Order: sequence, then C-alpha cells, then structure tokens
Amino acid sequence: MKFLTFSEDNQLLAQMITFLRSRGEVDAATSSDKDMPIEYGADVVYALRGNAQYDSISAALKNLFKSSGYDAIVIASTVLGREVAGHLSVGIDSDVAPELSSLEFKDGKAITKRWGYGGKTVIEETWNARVFTLLPGITDAEKNGSESTLKDIQLGDSRVEIISEEPKNLGGGNLESAKIIVSVGRGLGKKEGIEVAQKLADAVGGEIAGSRPVCLDYQWLSEDRQVGLSGKKVKPKVYIALGISGQIQHIAGMRGSKIVIAINKDKSAPIFEESDYGIVGDLYQVTPKLTEKLTG
Amino acid sequence: MVDIIVLVKQMHDLEQIKPDPSTGEPMLEKSPFKMETISENAVEAAVQLKEKYGGKVTALLFGNSEAGQIMKKAYAMGCDDGYVITEYTGNNHLYTSQVLAEKIKTIKHDLILLGNQSADSVTGMLAGRLSAILGEPVLGNAVSIEIEGEDAKIKRVLEKNNYYVKTHLPAIISVTQEINEPRLPPVMRIMQAGRKPINSEKTTVQEIKNFTVVSNKAPISERKKLIFEDVDKGIEEVVKVIKEEMR
Repeated sequence: MKFLTFSEDNQLLAQMITFLRSRGEVDAATSSDKDMPIEYGADVVYALRGNAQYDSISAALKNLFKSSGYDAIVIASTVLGREVAGHLSVGIDSDVAPELSSLEFKDGKAITKRWGYGGKTVIEETWNARVFTLLPGITDAEKNGSESTLKDIQLGDSRVEIISEEPKNLGGGNLESAKIIVSVGRGLGKKEGIEVAQKLADAVGGEIAGSRPVCLDYQWLSEDRQVGLSGKKVKPKVYIALGISGQIQHIAGMRGSKIVIAINKDKSAPIFEESDYGIVGDLYQVTPKLTEKLTG
Repeated sequence: MVDIIVLVKQMHDLEQIKPDPSTGEPMLEKSPFKMETISENAVEAAVQLKEKYGGKVTALLFGNSEAGQIMKKAYAMGCDDGYVITEYTGNNHLYTSQVLAEKIKTIKHDLILLGNQSADSVTGMLAGRLSAILGEPVLGNAVSIEIEGEDAKIKRVLEKNNYYVKTHLPAIISVTQEINEPRLPPVMRIMQAGRKPINSEKTTVQEIKNFTVVSNKAPISERKKLIFEDVDKGIEEVVKVIKEEMR
C-alpha cells in the first residue's frame, strides 16, 4: 500500500504517519509550517503554500493522487479535513470511509470501525474506498530515526477569501496524554464552580476538561477542553466526572479511560452506568473533601 | 433577498435507542424518527436569514415514510416550501449527496444551508461533496452568517483559530450547533403547518453502496459500577483508587 496523508495540524499528521508507516509507504502533505513532521517515517512531506482552503487543498491532493499512484488518501478528521475529504472524494470518484477509530487493509478492502448512532454503537465495516478520515489520537506519534524530503507545492486559487483571523483563547493543556482528567458538566451550575474542580485537578496533577455545554454553550472552559464525540477523545488512567449526566455523545469521548469515577447528585444519572466508582452527592460538598484527602 | 435551500435530515431519537440485551444490536424499530439535531439549527439559521433579508426558504429532506412529520416541523419553524425525496434506506453519504444534488439543481437558490456533522452518523461529508458536485463554494462551520450584496460572510470556527471568511453566492454554508437556539413554534404555526401539503417524489439516482456492515453493536461496558450513596464511604474508596493510580 502507498498512502498519502494530509492534515493542517502537524501534531495530527505525525500521528497519522506513525499509524500508516507500519501499513505501507507514506507521503504526507501539510498546510502548516509549524513543527513540520519530517522525522516520523514519511518519504516526502509536501508543504502546501498559499490560501489553504478546502478547495485549493483538495485540488492539490487530487493532482498528487493522479500523478503519484497512491492507493489511499488518509485525512485527519478536523473541520477542514472533513471538507477536503468530501470534496476530494468527488474529484477522484471514490467513497469516503469517515470518522474511523480503526483502519486495516486486507485483500484490497478496508476494514474499519467507527461510532454509530451518536456513540451508541460501534460499527465494523468493510469499505471499497480510497479516501479515509481518521479520528485524532489514532495512535501516539513516534519518531523513527528517518528524515523526510521536504517539497513545496504552490496551491491554486480558492473561492473562499479570508477577511480576518481571530486567535482563540485556548487552555493549552494536553488532554490526550493526561494521566488524570477532572471533567465538569452542566451540573456544575455556575462558572465559579470551575475553581472547585481545578483544585482537585491540581491536587492529583491532572488536567481539567468539560462537556459540550460547559465548553461551547457556556464557555466556562476553553473549547479545546471539550471531551466528547465532537471534542477530544481521551484515555486517562482516571477520569473524574463532576456533575456530568452522561449523555452518549460525552461517553463516546471518554470510553477509553481506565477507571471512571463519577460524582453526581442524581442517583439515576446515566453516567453511573459508565462508571467504576460513583458517589451520589452534591459535588460542592464531595469534591472539596476529596481534594483535601488527596492533598499532600 | 436570499432564496435558501435548507437540508434536513431525519434520524432515530438517539436517547431512545436501546441495545437488544441478547445481541447488543440497537433496537431501531422502537426508536421513533425526529429531525436531526443540527438540521434544526440549519432550519433556524435559514428562517432567521429570511426574516432579515427577505426571500424564500425551501426545505429538502431525503427520507422514508416518517419524513412527513419532520417536514411539518420545518414548515412550523418557518420554511415556505418543502420536498421529501422518498426511499431513504439508511446512512450512505455518497448516495445522499447525489440524491440531494439532483434535486437542488432544479431549485433556484442563493444559499444552501446544512448542519456541519449530523448527530447520528457524524460524517461531515455532505458539504464538501455537494460543493464538488454542484460547483458551489462552501463556507464551513459557521457560528454567524451575513449577506452583503453578492457575498456571504461567516464566522468560521476551527479547532485552533476562528476566521471571518467570505465567498460569492450561490454558496453552501454548514452551521454548528452553537449558531442559534432553534425556535419552538407556537401552536397556531404547528396547526397551519399540518395543513400544508408536502411535495413528495422519488429520485432517479441509482444507489451505489461501497460499504458492508460486519457488525453494529453497543460496546460492552465493563465498568464496576460501585455506586456509593454513603458519601464518606465513597470518598474513602475513591481516594484509595486515585492514590493507587497516581503512584
């Protein structure tokens, strides 16, 4: 197999190169200059220069696909990545196997896994497709002592024009590699409650995270701290859920945790079905006590 | 004036899907269909644009025999017209994009609105595919939309940065769940919508299916589920577990 893999995020691209290099030859393409992933085992890393929008990137990948004989194009599932994959799949007359948590090849078919029904099920499928989107965190990025050849590609025009850019205020934590995560949900009730959770996270050397409403609707935490189907997929040793009801979309993001501990005052909250240890109680009473016993 | 096509998906009510205890497969027949969550945001965004700029909103739904009630909800929320393409048999984004594109080509429009990733299958493939099939540009992941003359302008939310981007109409805009709070239509609107006819038609596109489902089951939860109602006892146990893992 010969793969072309793309992401605008070089951390994700390093993961995908690492994942694919044991399955065949890999070339990579990126539209970001930051931390070029040239030590992970790709033969060539293409630097896409210019107005990197879904249409200009799709056109460049299509050219590479047509000229270099790749068997598959593997794209990191990000907002831009999904747009590129959809557009490109029409251009090279292929299907897309999307949102994969597992990808193997056997007898010319792809064998895949992805979430079904918003995280309720796992669907195992075989695909006849040349384009694939992989979930972030498919594997840990590991250097392999090689060095890729860098080549520049000038992107063509895009029909999307950038007017202005607005940097986000991101938390900067690394949830994917955190050993302990303290995660808060709607049950927190108020922004000030973050402090209670943060103290517990500090006591155990963990990272703080949240559910979709907490990070996106109320913005009590930055967007990059959202755990769930549409956010980060995490796999810490301990996941402590404070005031999280346990909607399926959230569970899909934390199912890989080794041990799950839930604190919720609602005895019937679905989170308890997905927990190893649960405490039925007011998080504002339970959490400080827990923090105290874990400090020092 | 903007004439808008809004794409509406039907899905099983996810909260009501339970696995069959013996096979682990989802018991779909016991879970009714409803309007897919982010389709509701797309309908709301379309109706708000109509209220601001004038024009017409046409809802387009590829569905099955349950689609009528979902289209009526779209009417009640403020869509002026609607087409149901029948014989939807399940999630297949390649086929869906071809079926929708065939119909879209026959409807005059300035904008196509849709959700960024459906709540049930989450593929996020439609915007890009429709863009390539129809030759219209995508402005993706919008949390706000403005029309300025011949241009559409959005605030685009990406993982690490946000952007203001624009393009010429006609264009496709995908919206996020955060763009708005979908309205609950008043009873009068719901009753009026109930009387409004639904245009229903078959597609001429032949289904291509490039995938075969090997299994589709609820993952088995192997959690211990030790739930403490005695808070102090619970804390004691949990402290032990966390300390063990911190070592």
